[in-house]
Amino acid sequence: MKRKILSTVLAMMMASSMIACGSAQSADGTDNGGEAVNTAGDMDDAVITIWSPSDKESIENWWAEKIDEWNSEHPDMKAAREAIDRSDSYAYDNKIATAVTSNDLPSIFFVDGPQVSYYAANEIIVPITDYFSDCIDDFDPATQAQCTYNGELYAISATQSGVAFYYNKDLLKECGVDTDDLDSRTLDNPITWSEMAEIAEKCTTDSYVGTHIIMDHGEGIPYALEPMYISEGKDYISEDGTTADGYVNSDEAVKTTAFLADLIAKGYANVDPITDEFLNGACATELGGSWDVAVLEENATFDWGVTYYPVADDTKKAVSPCGDWSAAISKDCENVEAAGEFLSWLMNTENVASYADAIAKPATRASAYEEEAMAAYAEGPRAMFVEQLQNTAAPRPRTPSYATFSTDYAEAMTNIFAEAASSKTVDESYIKEQLDSVADSFAEDYNTYYAN
Amino acid sequence: MKSLKAQNALHKILFYAGNTIIGIIFVSPLIWMIAASLKPEAKIFANMNSIKTFVPEDASLNNFIEVFRRIDLLNVFKNTILYILLILLFDLLLNSLCGYALAKFRFRGRKLILSFVVALMVMPMEAILLPMYIEMSQLGWVNTMQALVVPSIAKCFSIYMFYNFFIDIPDDLIEAASIDGSSPVRTFFFIVMPISKTVYATVFILDFVAHWNDFMWPFLVMTGKDRRTIQLAVQSFFGTQPVHYSAIMASLVLSAIPMIIMFVFMQKYYVEGIASSGIKG
Amino acid sequence: MASKEKLSGRKRDERIAGYVFSLPAVVLLIVFLGVPIIYTVYYSVFQYQVMRPNDILFIGLENYKKLISDSDFWVSLKNTFYFTVVVVPVQCILALLLAMLVSKKFKGVSIFRTMYFSPQLTSMVVISVLWTVLYNSNPNTGLINAFLTNLGMEPINFLTNEKTAMNSIIFMSAWQGAGYQMMIFLAGLQGIPRDQYEAASVDGATPFQQFWSITLPNLKGTIKYVIMITMIQAMKLFTQPYVMTQGGPRNSTKTMVYYIYTQGFQKGNFGYACAVAAVFFVIVVAMSLLMQNLTSEE
Repeated sequence: MKRKILSTVLAMMMASSMIACGSAQSADGTDNGGEAVNTAGDMDDAVITIWSPSDKESIENWWAEKIDEWNSEHPDMKAAREAIDRSDSYAYDNKIATAVTSNDLPSIFFVDGPQVSYYAANEIIVPITDYFSDCIDDFDPATQAQCTYNGELYAISATQSGVAFYYNKDLLKECGVDTDDLDSRTLDNPITWSEMAEIAEKCTTDSYVGTHIIMDHGEGIPYALEPMYISEGKDYISEDGTTADGYVNSDEAVKTTAFLADLIAKGYANVDPITDEFLNGACATELGGSWDVAVLEENATFDWGVTYYPVADDTKKAVSPCGDWSAAISKDCENVEAAGEFLSWLMNTENVASYADAIAKPATRASAYEEEAMAAYAEGPRAMFVEQLQNTAAPRPRTPSYATFSTDYAEAMTNIFAEAASSKTVDESYIKEQLDSVADSFAEDYNTYYAN
Repeated sequence: MKSLKAQNALHKILFYAGNTIIGIIFVSPLIWMIAASLKPEAKIFANMNSIKTFVPEDASLNNFIEVFRRIDLLNVFKNTILYILLILLFDLLLNSLCGYALAKFRFRGRKLILSFVVALMVMPMEAILLPMYIEMSQLGWVNTMQALVVPSIAKCFSIYMFYNFFIDIPDDLIEAASIDGSSPVRTFFFIVMPISKTVYATVFILDFVAHWNDFMWPFLVMTGKDRRTIQLAVQSFFGTQPVHYSAIMASLVLSAIPMIIMFVFMQKYYVEGIASSGIKG
Repeated sequence: MASKEKLSGRKRDERIAGYVFSLPAVVLLIVFLGVPIIYTVYYSVFQYQVMRPNDILFIGLENYKKLISDSDFWVSLKNTFYFTVVVVPVQCILALLLAMLVSKKFKGVSIFRTMYFSPQLTSMVVISVLWTVLYNSNPNTGLINAFLTNLGMEPINFLTNEKTAMNSIIFMSAWQGAGYQMMIFLAGLQGIPRDQYEAASVDGATPFQQFWSITLPNLKGTIKYVIMITMIQAMKLFTQPYVMTQGGPRNSTKTMVYYIYTQGFQKGNFGYACAVAAVFFVIVVAMSLLMQNLTSEE
């Protein structure tokens, strides 16, 4: 019996190794017989190769459809797109970094907004200004700014994202908060930090906490929190992207950080919230992404609303997060001309609208909102996000040292919040010390690689 | 007599009670994972403070349907199993040959090879990922099956396991075969291999599980949906906003199923194999 | 004369067979483990930002000098050792206890063995994701804290307090790994002759005395083996901090491999990461050889 099982296993291995050898060959491109052809175009004979993060079904279908459309119209410039799986915000960047070391990049790849300047400064991506000169003004200002480095356009995106203040009306009413007031807020009259803190305090009970601050230990933190710093008066990094000292560790930044840490110290927000805390009714409010609108519409078992990103009490300056994956042409692209033509086609009004619809995110092009696909953005929470994006969105810092900054800032915030949660008080000198070290390592990275 | 019986009964009760409590601690996270995979998204963290969290209310297979819709699971399983079996075929053959040579043959350099094998057992893959990738690229192997398979064949730990096992095979046995005119190759394949099934089974299972859980290396060297392996597919649920725990839990459950099937199927070998690896010292 | 010739002929055969048998695996090891290690050492003397492969600068031993004054490096090294020193005994003792629990032949004992072994059937990534949720600091969303508050205790910030984060990872790792070592101990326990216990029992030895004077000495070889494989795993600790804590809070779970990974990939300081890796290699290889010498002395 034992022998039988083992010999079966061995036989299976033999058989499978033969099949695998066959597919190994086709992966190499020497033998294309037998293997199923990739639905999104065949990488091997494509002129234009594309990498973008893998996404939900509707987006995967959108890509397949668009690549087919392009390939049937341009048999001489075939395109193929690969979906890159990523475990978190950094894994995709690792894949790009690895490919860079050996010149293995595809013609076009998608890059998260703030990484554009990092890649541009290192000449991993090439300028695409010429392909968009006639239509760039149709894209929202924040997208233009995020994708521009040293006066040249290096990337372009079809969709945008935002963050705003979501509230669970059922829970808020239970705690005696006036939800009608929140519903009636406008862009000129957004809630302030102290109002946010007040709601969080009132709505912290035994069964749920008052609010939710994103804690993904990664890019989500600098992304969602930056407007608070700008609203208080100082961005993370200087306008020219050369220094963080006097910015991320300024008095204003310490005050902003202390405000957030205070919410955690007092137990109004969890130090390690689960991602779906709001949907699960475990927090009454949240600073949540624009993507949550679709999630809540589909799954929420409670009444909810969303209003503009809160502003600092002293300045009342309205600012909001933005940024999304953008397409860029790589240094390894052999036919930049073709890739440029493809990109300007991919980002035309109609495609932007259908892409935005499929991924359930606001579109970057103003003209896209006239398309039928974008009808849902005319009113309700989606319209609020569009309004906020077009008026108050601020891109993340444009600096070649952004990757280092993002990692260190996320780490510092994790430390600060953990400290606040354990000691139940806010220690401003500790905040200052942590932010100082962010500024120091930024300076070290910048001076080592980019100063000259 | 009676007191002895009572004592035995007491032993029995203690045994079952103790094991049940500890057993529950060991399986409860996994039970929770399975329960969560059956719950709708908004209910996963409901009733967290009572036993009810282990009981899926409104249980449905919707999460699994979602997983099947988003990934071509059959293809993913096929890809993964194919490349793992290919690795294992060479892994078992070459590493056992090497382990056997180190255990049974006297030749110059044997000691040196042995200390290298032992020393390199502790080498963490994660620390040399980038240089390994650069090497693959220089070989022109990026995005080919070779990059996935060839670097993973030779394993210090496997060699060490085989070495440890073969060293206990009586020399007389090999000597006798040799006197009968059997060549070393013949002796290995027809005398040594058949009596070493447990160690082969152990290495097979250990390495199968290890490769089943590979993420970083396939992620870096392979691109393309139709070539993705199981862990890549699972990870795609973490990275795509909105992150849904329901789909994640369902994909985790699905990814564990082949392991469970293998365990059930090969349990006897598994236990014997693992057990035999540590009896000597 | 004839027999002597035959013998030396056999010796030669054996030598040739030794080379032929070991060659394929050794060549593969050299090419796919040796070469990357050589690359690592090579790149460690360069300033190499990962995004600029065409712009690397020879800087001699600068990276190594930087490393000596880099507190994160030393913290990571310390954490790696702390993890190893704690997890090895905890996991081995747990495994031995479990093995003793299920070594007697009761009805249904194989069910319990399977239960203890079950965490092995899922990957460390899966386990880490799952336990991040279980360890959640809020009793409304974290299973363990829900349990603690039901018992009237204060919730614990398992992963967000620098004092508990590493220990939480240790506990989880021991839970995950103990089933495997249990199986090894089980075989060891079953190999101990029963009459030794019976004789001791007649002499009136307590179960504890029996454990001390019979079980432990008989398991010596098994224990050494288990310690060694646990230690090898422990030194490589990466997945748990990567998934659960990203090395925080306050660097309390930053391990050597995780530090090498973040420096090389996330921050792009590839040259520096190689220097850290090279130093780490020397340390682990030295430890590994030392361990091997200690365990093979008899």
